[in-house]
Amino acid sequence: MKKLDKQTLIGIRDQFGSYAWDDAEISELVEPKLGIITGFQELLDQLEVLRKIDLEATPPAGDISPK
Amino acid sequence: MTATLAFASLNEISTRLRNREVSATELIDLYADRIERLAEESKAFICVDIEAARGRAASIDKNFDDELPLNGIPYTCKDLFDVKGLPTTGGSQVLQDNLVHKDAEVVKRMNQAGANFIGKNNLHEFAYGATGENTLYGTPPNPYDPSRLAGGSSSGSAAAVGFGLCAAALGTDTGGSVRAPASLCGLVGFKPTYGRISTEGVIPYSWTLDHVGTLTRKVADTGLLFDSLASEPKTPVQTSLHNLTIGIPQSFFFDRCDSEILDSIDALMNFLRREGAILKPVPMPSMEFTRTVSLAVQMPEALSYHNRYLEQRGHLYSQDFRAGLALGQCLLAEQYIRGKRFIETYRNDMDRVFAEVDVILTPATPVIAPKIGVIEVTVDGYAEPAGNAITRYTSFFNMTGHPAITLPCGMHSKGLPIGAQLVGKHFGDEQLIDIAQQVESDYDFELPLPDLG
Repeated sequence: MKKLDKQTLIGIRDQFGSYAWDDAEISELVEPKLGIITGFQELLDQLEVLRKIDLEATPPAGDISPK
Repeated sequence: MTATLAFASLNEISTRLRNREVSATELIDLYADRIERLAEESKAFICVDIEAARGRAASIDKNFDDELPLNGIPYTCKDLFDVKGLPTTGGSQVLQDNLVHKDAEVVKRMNQAGANFIGKNNLHEFAYGATGENTLYGTPPNPYDPSRLAGGSSSGSAAAVGFGLCAAALGTDTGGSVRAPASLCGLVGFKPTYGRISTEGVIPYSWTLDHVGTLTRKVADTGLLFDSLASEPKTPVQTSLHNLTIGIPQSFFFDRCDSEILDSIDALMNFLRREGAILKPVPMPSMEFTRTVSLAVQMPEALSYHNRYLEQRGHLYSQDFRAGLALGQCLLAEQYIRGKRFIETYRNDMDRVFAEVDVILTPATPVIAPKIGVIEVTVDGYAEPAGNAITRYTSFFNMTGHPAITLPCGMHSKGLPIGAQLVGKHFGDEQLIDIAQQVESDYDFELPLPDLG
């Protein structure tokens, strides 16, 4: 998986009907300078690991009922 | 009226009310006086409604109803809960004018049980964070050391009970936001089985992970509140510590933990063995990706709720929260769904663990209350953000939805409380509270009151 870049996120913002995040906020996700969100790329890398795990037919978690 | 009463358990206060040794009005006067003196120092409140509370107290005193389980008990709630006639701000500039006209379901239930609402508590903005830092309303300090955090996100709820400004408080717990601050402040923090207490009328952070919880001084107080708040209340099972099987996680929950906290949990385990409990090491699911899974679910959910305000009021959110919401915007739908499927696997894994044990015991937090303003804490040479450390042992059970309770079990040499966490089976809330109550009453540990000068 390639490293996330700012242009991809700008594309999501401008072409996916997203809220109009500031350019600076988008930059912060890919090149953190303020230290507010520092691990987005790591989060994506970990999600990629999880994507490769076969969950068979496990459904999404829902309400919990008494057994 | 003494300060001692301000720190009395809910049960003690209730008994004194029923015996007419104290009136509901005198109680409100006591807490009103303390709030006036300590509101600034504690930063526990966003708003107080003492005059309305005095009016209700007068009515309660005029015709005291012994049948109401919480009659005359003064309580507060985190400012995520709707209270008719007051704004629900979420601790944010965004909702300063959010006047509501209906009580949250839990507020309604508290009032029906006779409890007397006195104010709304400070919090980490919209519950996004475990340090309780709030630029608008200030950061609630720890009652045992004002240079340290009360913890969050239910920071004001913990400070309100911890500083003796109310008898009990309601909070929300999405990753430990009730249990962790309660533990850091020497209180009892409880979150029920997922869905067992209604979240209707409470500003959501993450629908999948949110739980309404309670902060009290004693475990028995938690039981009293739970009986009034929960759906389908059942009679508690009389459980003995003798032959109780207590699971001790073999991994993660004792890792990178302050050594004095480990010593306190060891001492508690020795007590439980002496009482005849069976302590059984249990393998836990891999925790390697639990934080990732939690974030993949919570950030899109938070964004989805706050989208209603972003267009008009987006500039009023803190920079911190906006950054989190922006992250939520950049995750894929499949990543979100996959996160929810992993949560289902965690639940299935824990069902297997709970087939072997009655409850699980862990430390409540791996650290004592961090200093206010500290970005990272370091344990065993490993640094992590303070908020992550505070909730490291609690957040997993928000995903699995198991009931969990934290209670004080020791004092650190730095003068801060240490807490233990007990986790029960789904819908075993009453049994869990009963077990925790026995631990609290039989274990030879008495938490000193904070020295508030």
